[in-house]
Amino acid sequence: MLVKCRLSEGDALKMREPWSELLQRPPDGNQLRRRGKLTIKSKLRKRLLWDAPIFAFWQLRFTKRAPAAPSASAPPCYSIRLSTSIPGDPLTLPHLEKRLEPGERAVARLQLDLDERLQFQKGLLVLTNQRLLFLAENQAEVGSFRDWPLGQIGDLSLEEMGATGALNLSSAGQSGRAQWRFTAGLIKEADTFVARFAEQQRTLAGGMPADTPAAADPDADHEGLDFADLMPEAAHGNPMLRLMRFSRPWIKLIVLGLLLTIAATSASLLTPWITGVLVDKLLIPLQTKSHDLSLQQLLPYAAMLLGTALVAWLLKWGRTFVVARIAELVTSRLRRELFEHLQRLSLIYFNKKRTGDLISRIGTDTDRLSLFISLSFIDFVCDVFQFLFTAFILFKIHPLLAFAALGPVPIVAWLVRCVRGHLLSGFAASSRAWSLMTSVLSDTIPGVRVVKAFAQEQREIVRFRQTDHHVYATNDRVNRTWSFFSPMIEMFTDLGLLIIWVVGALTVAHGTLTVGVLWCFVTYTTRFYGRLEAMSRFFASAQRAAASAHRVFEVLDVEPDMPATEGTRRIGRLSGRIEFRDIKFRHGSRQIIRGISLDIAPGEMIGLVGPSGSGKTTLVNLACRFFDVSEGAILVDGQDLRDIHVEDYRKNIGLVLQEPYLFFGTIADNISYGKPDASRAEIIASAKAAHAHEFIMKLVDGYDSMVGERGQQLSGGERQRISIARALLIDPAILILDEATSSVDTETEREIQRALDNLVHGRTTIAIAHRLGTLRLANRLVVLEDGRISEIGTHEQLLQTSGTYARLHQAMQEVSHT
Amino acid sequence: MTTPAAQFDLQRNEAGNLVFTDAAGAVYGNVLPVRLFPLTDPTHWVAITSAAGHDLACIEDLATLPEPVRVLLLEALAHRDFVPLIQSIQAIRRAAHGYEWFVTTDRGKTHFTVENDESIQPLASGSIVVMDHLNTRYLITDPATLDLKSRQKLERYY
Repeated sequence: MLVKCRLSEGDALKMREPWSELLQRPPDGNQLRRRGKLTIKSKLRKRLLWDAPIFAFWQLRFTKRAPAAPSASAPPCYSIRLSTSIPGDPLTLPHLEKRLEPGERAVARLQLDLDERLQFQKGLLVLTNQRLLFLAENQAEVGSFRDWPLGQIGDLSLEEMGATGALNLSSAGQSGRAQWRFTAGLIKEADTFVARFAEQQRTLAGGMPADTPAAADPDADHEGLDFADLMPEAAHGNPMLRLMRFSRPWIKLIVLGLLLTIAATSASLLTPWITGVLVDKLLIPLQTKSHDLSLQQLLPYAAMLLGTALVAWLLKWGRTFVVARIAELVTSRLRRELFEHLQRLSLIYFNKKRTGDLISRIGTDTDRLSLFISLSFIDFVCDVFQFLFTAFILFKIHPLLAFAALGPVPIVAWLVRCVRGHLLSGFAASSRAWSLMTSVLSDTIPGVRVVKAFAQEQREIVRFRQTDHHVYATNDRVNRTWSFFSPMIEMFTDLGLLIIWVVGALTVAHGTLTVGVLWCFVTYTTRFYGRLEAMSRFFASAQRAAASAHRVFEVLDVEPDMPATEGTRRIGRLSGRIEFRDIKFRHGSRQIIRGISLDIAPGEMIGLVGPSGSGKTTLVNLACRFFDVSEGAILVDGQDLRDIHVEDYRKNIGLVLQEPYLFFGTIADNISYGKPDASRAEIIASAKAAHAHEFIMKLVDGYDSMVGERGQQLSGGERQRISIARALLIDPAILILDEATSSVDTETEREIQRALDNLVHGRTTIAIAHRLGTLRLANRLVVLEDGRISEIGTHEQLLQTSGTYARLHQAMQEVSHT
Repeated sequence: MTTPAAQFDLQRNEAGNLVFTDAAGAVYGNVLPVRLFPLTDPTHWVAITSAAGHDLACIEDLATLPEPVRVLLLEALAHRDFVPLIQSIQAIRRAAHGYEWFVTTDRGKTHFTVENDESIQPLASGSIVVMDHLNTRYLITDPATLDLKSRQKLERYY
């Protein structure tokens, strides 16, 4: 059950919905499915929680939303989500309230979703100022109940176990140990609960009155709020309608296209009419010789027919061209926005997505949409017009006959409806199969060296064959459905015609209808069913396009989890002081950084050491602001990183990675990537400083040598030195080296080392290294373990303490001696 | 590769933690059994790691272990294991980021959010693994054994 509303930071708490009332009443049915809008003070989040009864499982989730139109004046928007337990849940307020002693007050609660056997089962832990209570939703007896007086509880601790977590309780009383389990999504809440518990225990131990209102501190309350967890509003509506909205800038062109379509359709509809008149006025009299007619009277009819054909041709030409242009304009805008949007997304998104899939969304899916708009859609509009026109004409000519002829139409409509769902899922599957195939391609082709080296060509061929077969099979399935369609429509056409011939013959015999009109009628009916068939085909392509549009909008709907608009303070060159102030970082359910405080002076070099997975790379990613910290703050030159304009800040950062990435282009282009207007002299100077100059000179084209997609022609060390030159050129105040020497041999490492020495000089440097030699210039070494700093000091100091660093150092020595 | 059963011993201490003794007699407290192929081959290849995460032993086939150790290991594994098997799918609805699945699993009814197509992956064994946004794995052992309605719903998204 959810209550959702959008909030923006204003002055007063204005509620359109009786929120306070809503919050005090236990939820019933759909009443809470209402939406409200309220403007709030930034204090509201406290206020709302404060008003809410503590047992009602209200969870508030605030999400900062990027304003729809990024402008400096727009206040930040919040979207708030209130979730409650399911109505009728035995664990609701009254059930718990009656368990409380007089004077007892609840301080914190945690809703559990698993029992000890890991079955999905609801439970509730409540911390009061006297006890810890536990209620389980039990099938046998509603709400089994246990409690532990706070004084007897020894310890409450949180244990993370991958997909689940546990709270372990050790108690002095006869109830002994207890364990509660929950899924990973609740770990953060459980963490807060444990913190609250510790707080309460301290209060008790400190001899303070037990009813000190710990929960009265509103700041403590909002700790439980989950700002990091993004919960944006769902569903942005029909993808096809959004596609329409996307084409709004070309509305004039679209209107022109529509007018041309209507005109062309009407022109082509004139032909049967003229033919009908021709038959009645000319052919039949000629045949029956009832009137004396000369063939010259044929000429005006022939001229009219020729005229309409010419006009129709011209109009259709114009229409097709205009519509094709609209299609290109719209899809080009789609592609551009898609790419621009992708550039704004954070690294987390790219880690999750396959490259091939994204490429196919930008390439293939937009292309499909273009085809759809330019061919199918316009055809459809034509068809609809023709359909309506012909129906109108048919009824105008002879209502009874029209009724008879159009009898099978409802059946066709019903069939279209039935098949639609089938087609939609079929096309979605085929689209997925296609992107799976692209993924295999984009996986295998860049990795061709590995494939060949391990002689796995056959295996890749099989892999491709399988995905290709999957494409074939999904398409085949869809084709089976829609190929069934057109023949069936044809059958109904024949049926309709049969009816006309029968009914028509009868009416002609009765003399209420002329042969010409009947002829005209037959032609219109044939067209009518032809249109119907075309329209049914349109549904197939529309579903295909809808699937593509959905895939495109899916990417566009991903909100950048770190809006670049957030930080607004413009900065110039920094001096380079970085301060990590008790930072924590959580990704999904995993806590990666568990509290790090570190002050780095300008120009200081910090070496980060520690086992893999200890959070080194995460820490530098946070320092680069690829992600935002979950708790705590990072300050550069005394300013919070989140307040600073991201681009300005990144201009101050030089980054050298383990795997240097060279873009397709010349070496000079690659060196000047961060500063495109750099002079040749600057480029050469930085290449010299990076010890790259010599080998570049040896290349035939020198600085103009093209380096391939991944710089294939250069060795690892050479590529690394180019990336160092790249970092040197922008002369950053802060330098980040992420295992810059890990992937090369010792000789190359020495070369890179010399290059790095030039780079490090006079800059604040954070270097991660497995090879401790890289860190010999470091002023301080920081040893990270499990998201915390375990040791800190110079090389000598750390060797003396004989801790983790000493162990690592010794291991290094052993490796280099063997 | 695999550590013979005779070369180690495993016991549970009073605190409920597993204690591991290796062939040389060294004792490690609070060790952790880990499945190396939890999805494709959960019954084979179990490693025992120390509290610090170092590899202590690797067992290819649990059936080769003597009775008390095997039971202890299985218990400890079951304690941590959480891969619900999806038995039927009630609904798959479009949600903010991806799709919300409402399912019945062998552990009861639940719902979770699946972020994108990549979160649904086939395994070599023919089963399908569904990953929710918190990286919890849900397994469909054999899509063909699902009831027709569930299968139709699955087919739309996979």
